[in-house]
Amino acid sequence: MNEVRVYDVTTQIGYGFPSQSLEVALRWEPHVLVAQGTSTDAGPYYLGAGTSYTEVEGVKRDLKLIIKAAKECGIPFICSVGGAGADVHVEQVFNIINMITKELGLKLRLAFISGEIDKEWLKKKLLSGSKARRLVDIRRLSEHLTVRDVDESVRIVAQMGPEPIIKALDLYFKGLIDGIITGRSLDVGIVAAYPLKFGFPKNLVYHMSKILECGALAAEPGSSSDGIFGILNKDYFLVRPPNPRRRCTVTSVAAHSFYERDNPYMERLPEGYLDVTTANYVQYDERTVMVSGSRFVPQPYTIKLEGVRLIGFRTISIAGSRDPIFIGKINQILEEVVEVVKDRMKHIPEDEYVINFRVYGINGVMGVYEPLKNPQPHEVGIIIDVVARTQEIANSICALVRATLLHHGFEGRKTTAGNIAFPFSPSDFPVGPVYEFNIWHTLELEDPVEPFKMRVMEFPR
Amino acid sequence: MVKLYDVAKVVRTKNAGPFKLTIDIFFKDVESYMKAKNKLSRELIAKLYSISEDLIEGIYFVDNVLGIKITIIKEIPSDDVRTSDVYAAQQHGPLIYLDI
Repeated sequence: MNEVRVYDVTTQIGYGFPSQSLEVALRWEPHVLVAQGTSTDAGPYYLGAGTSYTEVEGVKRDLKLIIKAAKECGIPFICSVGGAGADVHVEQVFNIINMITKELGLKLRLAFISGEIDKEWLKKKLLSGSKARRLVDIRRLSEHLTVRDVDESVRIVAQMGPEPIIKALDLYFKGLIDGIITGRSLDVGIVAAYPLKFGFPKNLVYHMSKILECGALAAEPGSSSDGIFGILNKDYFLVRPPNPRRRCTVTSVAAHSFYERDNPYMERLPEGYLDVTTANYVQYDERTVMVSGSRFVPQPYTIKLEGVRLIGFRTISIAGSRDPIFIGKINQILEEVVEVVKDRMKHIPEDEYVINFRVYGINGVMGVYEPLKNPQPHEVGIIIDVVARTQEIANSICALVRATLLHHGFEGRKTTAGNIAFPFSPSDFPVGPVYEFNIWHTLELEDPVEPFKMRVMEFPR
Repeated sequence: MVKLYDVAKVVRTKNAGPFKLTIDIFFKDVESYMKAKNKLSRELIAKLYSISEDLIEGIYFVDNVLGIKITIIKEIPSDDVRTSDVYAAQQHGPLIYLDI
């Protein structure tokens, strides 16, 4: 094999893509269709609650087009699915795949690779001396992952590397499956798996995968809901968007290494890192960029673990003020309100709840980073935000904060019938459980496939 | 003097994971890029964002794309109950007023 062609259909399964882009890309004869559908961007809630941040109709539409195209062209698809990417999330996608296969009237066999990490397996690893270091040095995370962290976590996933997918591709080439569905996985890995299987140079494979993984974001105009095409040989690769309204330019492709990364030169990977400092970008034709010259540096194999723990339950209330005296003293007023509430709620230990205010018009968007220190807005929006040990406590505290703020007799007050305006009745909203990441660590691993269970499934079920 | 926000093509912020804020600034012309490159020091960034310098993980100047990246360890991570911006997509406020 001298050349491998990969089409990355979209940035996030469920966010949509133009079907015309897929049609054009298929004429360029890809060897494989890939699309990512897992992320932590939307926060810890989805991993904790077991729900998805995408909607059924969007996921169904995207997966249907991908599966149908792959089947018709006789090529495999590799898709990560389920948002946070634990088994509970993937199970929801299986229901969608079931509907799709029934509607299309086709039989589908796929290899499913779970991204969920078995807690007992992980604890055994840690107890037998495997090290899992935190990825960012902040106090909340244990420096080295502990058994207690694992026990406290609601569920744990890991970003699988390309290796389990490469193994599953063997089944494809034996004619046993039509495609691969993974839970949580490294976005770069689902793109890299196919070309790595055929032994293409790692620096080129990983660099191309890094550019393709965000779809048309590496094109101009960029888009997070459109695809991008990659053509790789042993010396360089080409990237080009199938959508004729977009083009890849040297700048759009090179600048893509900035996106959502802490360092524009370095891309961390399970088996090392990619250094793009020495990369060459050449405008190959009007809409295509040729890339070569990056460096792959091998390191001991690690996978990234992600886990969340429940920290409480939230209730919020939304209000606003149009009074200049109130707005002029708002920080002092909010402090006084919290004091009153703490005093009335003495029977509830103070460490069982947290009261926060977000004051839009003052510093609601940037909080501690807000550079304007004395704004004089004509009105402000206030979100009362209470997180407590139970939903009942959160509801009670939020109700009391809301009522106290409404009637608080601050000095100089003229609005004696009420300090704030509520747009809604009811004024308070129980939001439900709140989670935070307590596992954000890299685990050293001798066998990159070991934690990721694979099974073959047939659809419709 | 010109405002950085007026001469930049892109001024965007985003999470690089929940614990880091990353700021990307791209320019159309070399002159504006060079002005910004000369101006944006660790000291200035710390002052603009009211943070200590050791929370600035890195400032990167990528000449061939006229791009600057600044990465900051967040005091309030995006999964903290106190966060005001889960995706950290609107944290460019201090750069709006900056003269270069």
